[in-house]
Amino acid sequence: MTIKVTLRHVLFALAVAFAGLASAAPAEAATPAEAFVQDNIHVGLDILNNKSLSTDARRTQFANFLLSLTDMKRIADFTLGQYRRGASPADLAAFDAAFQNYAVAVYQSYFAKYAGQTLKVTNSQARTQDDFIVATALIDPNDHSGQAPLEVDFRVRTDSGKLVVTDFSVAGIWLALEERDQFTSFLGQNGGNIHSLISHLSDLAKQYRNG
Amino acid sequence: MRAVKALIFGGCSLALAACASAPPSPEALAANDPYEVTNRQTLLFNGKIDRYVVIPTVGIYFLLVAPGGRRGVHNFLGNLSLPTIFVNDLLQGEVTRGSQSAARFLINSSLGLAGFFDPARKMGIPGHGEDFGQTMAVWGAGEGSYLILPFLGPSNPRDAAGLAIDAAIDPTNFIPLKEHLWWSAGREYFTVLDLRGQTYQTIQGIQRSSVDYYGSLRSLYRQLRNTEIRNGRPAAAQDLPDF
Repeated sequence: MTIKVTLRHVLFALAVAFAGLASAAPAEAATPAEAFVQDNIHVGLDILNNKSLSTDARRTQFANFLLSLTDMKRIADFTLGQYRRGASPADLAAFDAAFQNYAVAVYQSYFAKYAGQTLKVTNSQARTQDDFIVATALIDPNDHSGQAPLEVDFRVRTDSGKLVVTDFSVAGIWLALEERDQFTSFLGQNGGNIHSLISHLSDLAKQYRNG
Repeated sequence: MRAVKALIFGGCSLALAACASAPPSPEALAANDPYEVTNRQTLLFNGKIDRYVVIPTVGIYFLLVAPGGRRGVHNFLGNLSLPTIFVNDLLQGEVTRGSQSAARFLINSSLGLAGFFDPARKMGIPGHGEDFGQTMAVWGAGEGSYLILPFLGPSNPRDAAGLAIDAAIDPTNFIPLKEHLWWSAGREYFTVLDLRGQTYQTIQGIQRSSVDYYGSLRSLYRQLRNTEIRNGRPAAAQDLPDF
């Protein structure tokens, strides 16, 4: 039962991780990675709470924000797992584009559900010199259940001197990891046909956009 | 009864696994899922049971029982699980969590009117889950190959064995009820209704948003189980794969 409840959290908290749909409580950032996450929570909040923007304009701004914050190509390549090695450059480029389209659509479709919640940086740990895990707590002011806040962790790395997000986890579920498991499983069932996966991702992106 | 059920399902699963005729693909072996072909068939079978039997029954349950009543049933079933959770807390050396489970059981069984209400939560004693599969993991047992159990869903040999142990140590099985079979069947029936009612939208969301529902479920199950085994503590950063 605990599993299922957590699954619900995972599904509907996806966008929160990037959007920071919330008033992040000001906190002292102890490391550059923490400061990066903390600051971007505010940026995401400003976009999402900007009522002067039309829905379409807000979506576009949010998509641009998301793309500036993440290393989508690195994430896309990771999610292909072992199939990346055998793929042609043209197929990889097509997959990267489809993945980016899909990822933005997925995150945007959920963000409104978590408006009003708070993401607060709690700590961080360095995995390597340029790979960090920043932990945050998702606090819902309307939740009086007494349960501990949901933990949302960001994986941040330094790419050519610039910090970017490569993955995030909600309640212990790492999204890119889950996507890699799904995609490689799909490819395994479809003879490694990346075009089939691209087509499927495009359909799903359309489905998300149409609600 | 629960022990028997767990053993039957565990046995079915192993039998089905053994019957898998196609050799595992390299991808399946790489994913520690050598029974993938059989697992996918079992998932389809479970989906049909869910669609044609469970979901209609849950619909009737939701029509007949108000949200407050369903919450009471949920609390009652959760309270029944607390003795087993308490034992597993202690077996894992989690004394603080064990004392929380014991306190919740005592408070909710009395002030909470046999567990239908949850005053312990209002007193600041939150609930948590534990099972013998997690206990074995804490003791160092590996999960083994991924399995989809008939009727029960995602699992592995360790967690399937844990189900049987949990059922064996569940004190409610020792209550000398004359109609013990009815008690057990009723409990399982309402557990299914409660669980499926709570997870309807979640499962639907995963099905709709997945590129490969099977692969998604497998990944979510493994990651969530690992989080549960750590009792929510963060994983070691070194355990994460390189990007």
